[in-house]
Amino acid sequence: MRELGAEIARDYADREPILVGSLKASFVFLADLSRATPILHGLDFVELAGYGSAQMGGHEQIRVLKDLDADIHDRDVIVVEDVVDTGLTLHYLVRTFELRKPRSIAAVTLLDRPYRRLVDDLPVRYVGFVVPDELFVGYGFDLEERWRQLPDLRLVHS
Amino acid sequence: MALALKIPDFQVYRGTEPPRFASQAELECAKVLDYYGVPWEYEPTTFVLEEDENGRVLEAFAPDFYLPDQDLYVEITLMKQSLVTRKNRKLRKLREHYPHVKIKLFYKRDLERLAERFHLDLAS
Repeated sequence: MRELGAEIARDYADREPILVGSLKASFVFLADLSRATPILHGLDFVELAGYGSAQMGGHEQIRVLKDLDADIHDRDVIVVEDVVDTGLTLHYLVRTFELRKPRSIAAVTLLDRPYRRLVDDLPVRYVGFVVPDELFVGYGFDLEERWRQLPDLRLVHS
Repeated sequence: MALALKIPDFQVYRGTEPPRFASQAELECAKVLDYYGVPWEYEPTTFVLEEDENGRVLEAFAPDFYLPDQDLYVEITLMKQSLVTRKNRKLRKLREHYPHVKIKLFYKRDLERLAERFHLDLAS
């Protein structure tokens, strides 16, 4: 975490970026990353309806459950993701944010599964760990909305 | 072989003919791509892998999806990873004959992970 925070602080020195957490699973990571990033920065959150819940609700197009509070025009935006695998969620967020004309967009992810990517034109600049194709819970990650509260990442054995 | 599946009105389908999916898994993948607004086509290209001396096609391969914005073909399979030798061989041939073509094979395990994450119905 210290390494990621130091990298971001170095790259964004004197620029006051805004860290945007993609809810829900990134909230613990965002809290730790924010405290490990020793420069002035803003915080905000966004939440998209996942495909599964949207289908059950009869929605066939993506919905924003919680939009940004901040105006990101001419700001340096860093999207904070728990994990990037297919890249579909991040791809959607980046395209949506680009319409608001930020100065720059980058992404930081705690976990990365680059071998599962379906879209690869993503601005993933900071990566915590490249992980194998396993399920994790804890540290904000859930399984059916449970186990987010565990203090560390735990591997789920199927 | 196309199945009688209930096809929704896709938003970012870029093909000219209505897609005729061969499995529920293909339909579900199409729905996920469409949901996230990633333009897609269904089996738009058939790659010739082998011809006889008269130019007759002996072997060809039509990947399931093409994502034009990514310039990426995606082939999905519900076979177990240990049973996909034939498909892997086709992919190897495709890469040999068309080295500029980007293609990704999604195995059963990949789809199961997607299904877990997105609550997909991969039956049939």
